[in-house]
This record gives sequence, structure tokens and C-alpha cells, in this order.
Amino acid sequence: MALTSFSFLCFFLFTAMVYYILPQRFQWMILLTASLTFYYISGGWAVLPFLLYGIFISYLGGLLLERTKEGSRKKTLFTWMFVVLTLLPLFLLKYVRFFGFPAPFGPLAPLGISFYTMSILGYVIDVSWGILPAQKNIFRHALFTSYFPQMISGPITRYSQMAEQLFSPHAFSYQQVTFGAQRILWGFFKKLVISERLALAVNLVYDQYPVYQGWYLVVATICFAFQLYTDFSGCMDIVLGVSQVFGISLPENFACPYFSRSISEYWRRWHITLGIWFKEYLFYPLQKSPLWIAFLDWSKKRLGKKRGKKLPLYTGMLVLWFSVGMWHGGSWNFIVGSGLLHWFYIVAGELLTPLWKRLTALFQVRTQVFSWHFFQGLRTFLLVNIGFVFFRAPSLKVALSMLFSMGRVQNPQILFDRSLFQLMTPQDWMIALASLLLLLFVSSLQQKIRIRETLAAQNLVFRWSLYLLLFVAVLIFGCYGGDYDAAAFIYQRF
Amino acid sequence: MTREEIFSGLNQVFQDVFDDEEIQVTEDTTAEDIEDWDSLEHINLIVAVERHFGMKFTMGEVTGMKNVGAMADIIGERV
Repeated sequence: MALTSFSFLCFFLFTAMVYYILPQRFQWMILLTASLTFYYISGGWAVLPFLLYGIFISYLGGLLLERTKEGSRKKTLFTWMFVVLTLLPLFLLKYVRFFGFPAPFGPLAPLGISFYTMSILGYVIDVSWGILPAQKNIFRHALFTSYFPQMISGPITRYSQMAEQLFSPHAFSYQQVTFGAQRILWGFFKKLVISERLALAVNLVYDQYPVYQGWYLVVATICFAFQLYTDFSGCMDIVLGVSQVFGISLPENFACPYFSRSISEYWRRWHITLGIWFKEYLFYPLQKSPLWIAFLDWSKKRLGKKRGKKLPLYTGMLVLWFSVGMWHGGSWNFIVGSGLLHWFYIVAGELLTPLWKRLTALFQVRTQVFSWHFFQGLRTFLLVNIGFVFFRAPSLKVALSMLFSMGRVQNPQILFDRSLFQLMTPQDWMIALASLLLLLFVSSLQQKIRIRETLAAQNLVFRWSLYLLLFVAVLIFGCYGGDYDAAAFIYQRF
Repeated sequence: MTREEIFSGLNQVFQDVFDDEEIQVTEDTTAEDIEDWDSLEHINLIVAVERHFGMKFTMGEVTGMKNVGAMADIIGERV
């Protein structure tokens, strides 16, 4: 059941009505029932065992780890055991073929398994670290694992930020419900008007490669950058909006990432909860492990204090970025495009910083002005786009071939001679560009003000005219596939 | 160990790790206040603090400390 489908809207409205009509003490049970129903409708019976396994293993892990003595060998053993057991379905379903083994469950990959596995793994580790008490009620734990707005595409949540919200009663709040509805509408606009439209051009160029070469690929890749952003962040708007209607606040996953001026900043603004997860549950523990500290000491002795600490740091980052790439999918195009390439960017950026500073000083470049910030933003955006070629291409080999084609085939005339109308009609280009300009305007505003609060303070006629305009824009300009269902969200397949 | 001694030790560690003798930390100092204190340097700092005071932070504390004051609280409990 796609989040943009009519059936989901009916399901959501029905759940929300029951949620607020029945006594508040039943609210979490309603959410659990709705979540399991949603998962069953979306994936069928075949996917439920994986979810139930995840719920049970992490629940059991929490209980056992809480009762095991702090600092004992048994605790370390149990922690590793439950980490492996929690990750096992994900490994068997997504990565087993990458390591050359036959897939035991065929092509089946339950919806959202990469997202909810991260959340329950975080829970198991938090209990092991003593940050959390274990959840004693398996049904409550099941709700944390399967909370339907977020389970398929994230955001990846931590138990500590969700538990109280999920299990405490929520009185009906007009503001929460209307703010939630507005955010859902904005998500629909991003997905149906922008993302689905840009997909027309992107799919044509990428699926018919090598028919389209050179600047066609450049244009399609830039379109893909906006398609992916509006797809994933639009999905998050719907998810966070739906959750807000229930009075439950989920963490933000995006903060205008294309305004970033460096790759490090980009990863603090793009898929934020994934970055935080890997930092706190992989990168920090790895760096703090006895093995890594011994590596640090060895490196400092040989390379000196300053340089010596960089080698373990960059090696740790390599493990981190390899894992981030792997999370996106067990194939080299994801490992390179969403992982190793970004590691290279960040390390190269760190190593080149002194040289860069000297050059800007030598040429007296002003670095605190808009033009310099714009240059940094454009540079970051273009670097990110190279990663997107790997992300969108069917394989590493094709991605590399496409990148060579962009450099080799010089056909910039296609930007001006109506050739691009082969990819989309002039009308579609106009709507896409106008919508992107609106998105840019709204994103710029978001940097300065809280838009929904500001709108709520305006007069009734003005604000309802805006909502209605957006609603009509989605209805008229939205791209709908067969059966009036938009394509699935790109990140749902992870 | 007194609070003053803990902060004196922390100042030494911070100055050494971030290579800046001007750094003086207070109860409210956070990563926002020190330019080079980012997620890449965080664990280097933690390991250096652990070595200086001969104690260990748990992983929960490593990610949960809100400011240097919270760090000093934990050190005070353990040494």
C-alpha cells in the first residue's frame, strides 16, 4: 500500500478516527493493530515472519542483556550474539548473494527491513550499554518495531525518543492534526508533481543507455538528484505528517541538503537519522575498541602525534562509509556511489584544506561572501551528483561508462535546440521547473522561519486559499501511473 | 578529586588534543564552542580524557554527554 495511494489515505483516516474516538488508554493498541494490518496489506503473509522474528529476537535480547552483569564476558558474548541474530534476516535477504551464496528466500525482501532492523538493533545495543531499561511488554515492543508511518522508509528512530510518545495517551489537538495534514499535502506535492514528473526524463535516459549520451546524461543526473530528494523527503513529509496527526513527533531526516557547502555538511542534512545511527552504533564503538586504540598508539609512534591520529581515523571512516554503502544495497554501485566515493570526498577535503586555505589567501579570495558560498554549494552538489550516477545506474560498469560519456561526448547544443523535449514535453519541463522554483523558495524560507506556524498566524481566507491552491496543484499537475497509483518510493526498496 | 582538579586536567587534555593552548573549558562548554571538536575528533578526545584520568566512559555516556560539565560529573564519580 503506497503512501500516496487512495487506499492508504482511507486506511490512515479510519485509523485516526478510531484513535481519537476510543478511550486514550487503547491508543497504542490501535496503532499496533493498524501497523500489523498495514504491513500485512503491503507485503502479504510472506513478510510477516521476518517482522515477527525481528520483534521477538530484539525483545528477548533486551530482556537477557538487562539481566546480564555489566562488564562481564557473558554480556559481551550475549551482545554480539543478539547483534548477529538481529542482523541475520537482513543478511540472508539482502547480502547473501553479494558474498557469493545462493539466496535462501529467492528475490523476497520484506518492505522496510533495512529500516526497522536498524531501529531494533539500536534498541538491543542501547540496552546492552545500559542506556535503556528493557521493554517488558512484547506488544509495546512490537509497536516500536512496526509503527506503521515510519517502518517502511524510516526515519530510523531510537527507542529512547519514541517510547514515551508511543505509549502515552494523546488528546486530540487541532493544531497537530492540521499541521500534520499540511505536511502530508506538501509531501504529495513533492512526490507527485516533482518527483514523478522528473522520473519521466530520468528513466528514459538511464533505461535506454547508451541511446542518450553526453549532456543528456548530465541533465538526467541533475533531474535524478531532484527526483530522489523530492521522492525521499516527500515521503518523509507524509510519514512525519501522518505521525503528527497521532500526536507523535518523529525525527527529521532532511534539512535542505542541497544547500550544503561541503560533503560532511551534506551528510548532516541528508538522511540524517541514518548518519546518526552509523556514527553512534558503528563509528564510535569501533574507534573506542581496544584494537583501534592500539592502532592509534602504533600510528602515533610511527607518524607523529598529529598525522598519526589521522590514519586510524580515515581507516575507521572507510569502514563507516563502506557500511553506509552496503546498507543501501549489496552491490558495488551502491557501495561506491553512496559509500566509498563520499569517504574519498571527505578525506580528500580534509587533506586538501591547508592547500585550499593557502590558495584562497594567495589569490585574495573573499571566503565570507555569497559568491564563495554559492561556489562551495555548487561544488558539493556536483560531487554528490557523481555519486547519484552510481546510485541510479544498474551496475558499477554502466555507471563508469556513463561518467566517461559525460566527459567524452560533447553535445551541449541539446540544451538549446529543443532536443530535451524528447525527454519530457515542454509543458512537463515548465511544470517541473516552476515546482522546483517553489521548492527552492520554500526551502530558503525554512532556513529563516517556521513556515506552518507563520501561516497559522495569517488570516483564514489567505491561508486556506494557499492550502486549496496546493491541493488543486497536486490534483491537476500530479503524475499518476496506472490505477491512479504513483510509483513506489525509491527508498522503500531498501 | 576536586572539581577544580578535574577541570584543570580537562583543560590540559583539550589543549593537547585540539592543539590550542588558549582553550579553557567550563561546565557549559559543548562541541559547538570548540572549532575542531566534531564527530571525527570526539572519540580521540574521549580516549585522551580516559587515559589522563585513568577511567573509562561507557558507550552510552560517550554519545549522551551534553556538555563538559556532564563529562566532569562522570569523571568525579569514577576517580
